[in-house]
Order: sequence, then structure tokens, then C-alpha cells
Amino acid sequence: MDPLKIIGPVIMLLIILGFVTYAILFERKVLGWMQNRPGPVRTGPWGLLQTVADVLKLLIKEDVIPDKADKTLFKIAPVIAFVPSFAVVAVLPFTDSLFFADIAVGLLYYVAISSTTIIGILVGSWASNNKYALMGGMRSAAQMISYEIPLVMAVVGVIMSAGSLNLRKIVAAQEDVWFIIPQFLGFIVFLIAAIAELNRTPFDLPEAESELVAGYHVEYSGFRFAFFMLAEYVYVFAMSALTTVLFLGGWLPLFGLDFIPPLVWFVLKMLAMVFFIFWLRATFPRIRSDQLMQLGWKVLLPLALVNIFLSALLKEVPVIGNWF
Amino acid sequence: MLGLVKGLGITLKNLTKKRVTYRYPDEPLEMPDRFRGIQHFDPEKCIVCYQCARICPTECISLTGKKNPDPEKKGKVIETYDINFEICILCDLCTEVCPTEAVVMTRNYELATYSRDELFKDMEWLKNNNTNVRKENHP
Repeated sequence: MDPLKIIGPVIMLLIILGFVTYAILFERKVLGWMQNRPGPVRTGPWGLLQTVADVLKLLIKEDVIPDKADKTLFKIAPVIAFVPSFAVVAVLPFTDSLFFADIAVGLLYYVAISSTTIIGILVGSWASNNKYALMGGMRSAAQMISYEIPLVMAVVGVIMSAGSLNLRKIVAAQEDVWFIIPQFLGFIVFLIAAIAELNRTPFDLPEAESELVAGYHVEYSGFRFAFFMLAEYVYVFAMSALTTVLFLGGWLPLFGLDFIPPLVWFVLKMLAMVFFIFWLRATFPRIRSDQLMQLGWKVLLPLALVNIFLSALLKEVPVIGNWF
Repeated sequence: MLGLVKGLGITLKNLTKKRVTYRYPDEPLEMPDRFRGIQHFDPEKCIVCYQCARICPTECISLTGKKNPDPEKKGKVIETYDINFEICILCDLCTEVCPTEAVVMTRNYELATYSRDELFKDMEWLKNNNTNVRKENHP
């Protein structure tokens, strides 16, 4: 057994945990700056130890399990929610040579595995024995399932252009022009559907801190709650990485500046996506659940289908067909 | 739809603006001149008329006077003057009604103590509390 096969994922886990730590801090900082205030500043220099303090607080809290809750399900729900978020990182190619698994159906694997998080959320909301948790879980399941479909449909355009489901081949197919330009409609649909998948504002009604008493994780405290939060932020990482791979050209340089190493390009594009997600959170109010379902089924799905037809059609047009 | 993009532009512009948070307690917070903080008492000016004790809504001022020790001068001289700061509401009525401006407000408000005994301000303390005194007593 090659020791690198064990050390590699462990290092990836540590990198992801480090990312989550500073992503949470940066989210609070960016949100603060956009609201004319400085964000966390007192814990550690410049607030750098804020997430450490938060995680420490969550770890030393008492493990409260409601009396009538289903104990086994209550305990495994956060695990079911978290494991897919880490498992999908296996197919993401960070550079041409830095990837974990080169699966021929990498994109399908990503979408399929990320759907299983919904089971974790449903199990958690049911096992909490709490009306609000159940409602939050139902809304969350409805939202996530109904936005999976525009997500996949939006990506079909990319698959048609690249001719493969393999993520590395998709990046390689973007050497002339990144897919964000010919597949712009698909990119918009993908972006909105991805943010709904992540349960982030403006689609965070399941978590709705102010409306639904924190939704499906209302009964969770301490480390189990930290697990749900961790799952959300690891998904932010994975979804931003997927967006850069599918639409922003992965590790390919912009304007031919290839003295900058490819990994740096990947990281910069990913961080730009993450910043964009935080920016949306600072700007938009929350969408109501009926408006959300309407948006998903009546607007995004038709747009995604239109995108597929357009891509297929424009592939046949002589000059611009090369980009499709 | 366009409003959404405009909103994004506004939040992005806010990144470059100055933060409005006060840096208190790292930096002191300057209060305006007419801010009503703890009182300052000048025993020389007091004529022991008891107006401040009468008008105080919470009856936190208690004072006693004695006859002027100098046999030629008339009137009374202040002997003790206490403000029970636990119940003082900093309403400023005592300074408004004082005919000689013996009691004035200052701008000091950082007065938290560890023991309630220290909140009973006596004449000595009030006399020595002469920093940041309000300039305009009757605006």
C-alpha cells in the first residue's frame, strides 16, 4: 500500500480544514466591510483566531441530545451530511498533475455524491423530534432536490462542448476560451443552482437563522453543529473548485501569463468564486420558499434547457461552432 | 433584475469606505460638551439652600450645613454633601436649579467600580472631580 495514498488525503483534509477556518473568518470580515464595520478584530491579531475560538467553544459545549429524539439517527446525521462533502474532493483536479482520482465520469460522480448530503439533512431534521427542525429539513430537501436538476442541465452544455465527463478533459478543452463565455447562460444557471445547493443566502431558508429558529440544525449543539457547518463550508470549497474547473478554465492562465504557476491560478480563481459567494450573502435578502421553488422549476430549468438547445444548435454554425 | 446588480455595486463600493465603528475602549470616546456625567461640587460656592435636594427626583442628594464659622458673615457653610450615585439618574435638575452653580455636571462617565460602597460619592470626591467640567451650565 503506497503510503502516499494515505498521506495525500490526510494532507488534503488538513488543507480543507485550514481553508474552512479562514473562509469562515473571511466571510465575517467581508460581510463586515460591506456593512461599514470591521468584522472580528479582537481575537488574535486582526481577528485571525476567531474561528479557532468559535470551534473551541463548540467543542467544549455539553452534548445535548433531546430526550425523545431518535438517538442513533441523531448521532449519525451530521456524519452523513459531512462525508459526501469530503468525498467529492477526490475528483477535483487542482492542476494538470495534482489530482486524486481521474475518473472518466468525474462530473457525474460529483453531482451524484453531493446529493447524498440531503439524506443527512433529512435524517437530522427528523431525528431532532422538533417541528421547526422538520419543517426546515423538508424545505431544505425540497430546495436541494429541485435545484439539482437545473444544476445538471446547465452543465450538460459544458459536457457537450468538451465531449467528456472527465474533469481534466473539460479543463483541457478550455485552452482557447474558457467556457464562461460561450456557455454564459449555462454559467448563470449553474451559479444560481449551486448557491441554492449550498443552502447559502439568498437561498438559505432551511438555515434561516431569523425565521425558522435555525431550521434543521436547531437541536444540534456543540460538535455536531460544528459538523453541519463544516459540511457547508467544505461544500463551498468543493463547489467553487468545481465552478473554476467547469467554467473558469481550471488552472489555465489568463492572457497567456504562464509564468504564474497553474496552482496559483486555480487558487486565485477559486478564491474569486468564494468571494463572490460571500458578496452575494452580503447583498441579497432571503428568497421565500414558494418563490424559490418557482425560480427553480419555472425559470432555471427552462433556461438550462434553452442553453442545451442553443449549444447544440450553435455547434453546427460554421465559425462560432468551434467554441461550442 | 437591474436592481440586483445595482445592489451588488453598492456593497462592493462599501468595501472601500471607512468603517464607522467606534474604537472604544481602545480609543477614548469624546463626549459633547453638554453631556451629563457625574457631578462636580464646589463647596466654596454652595449656600446650603437645599434646592438640589428638593428637586432631585430620586432623592439621592443629602446635605448638611453649619453656621458660618466667621462671625461677621451671614449664612451657612456646607458641611457634608453626598450624592448616592447608585440612584442618581444624571437628569441635571440639581445643576439647573442651583443658584450659585456650585453643582455642575462633568463629562466623566466611566465610573464602574467593583464595590457598591464606592458609589456613594461624598463631598471630597465630588470636589476633586474637576476634570471635563461642563462649560455651559445653563444653555
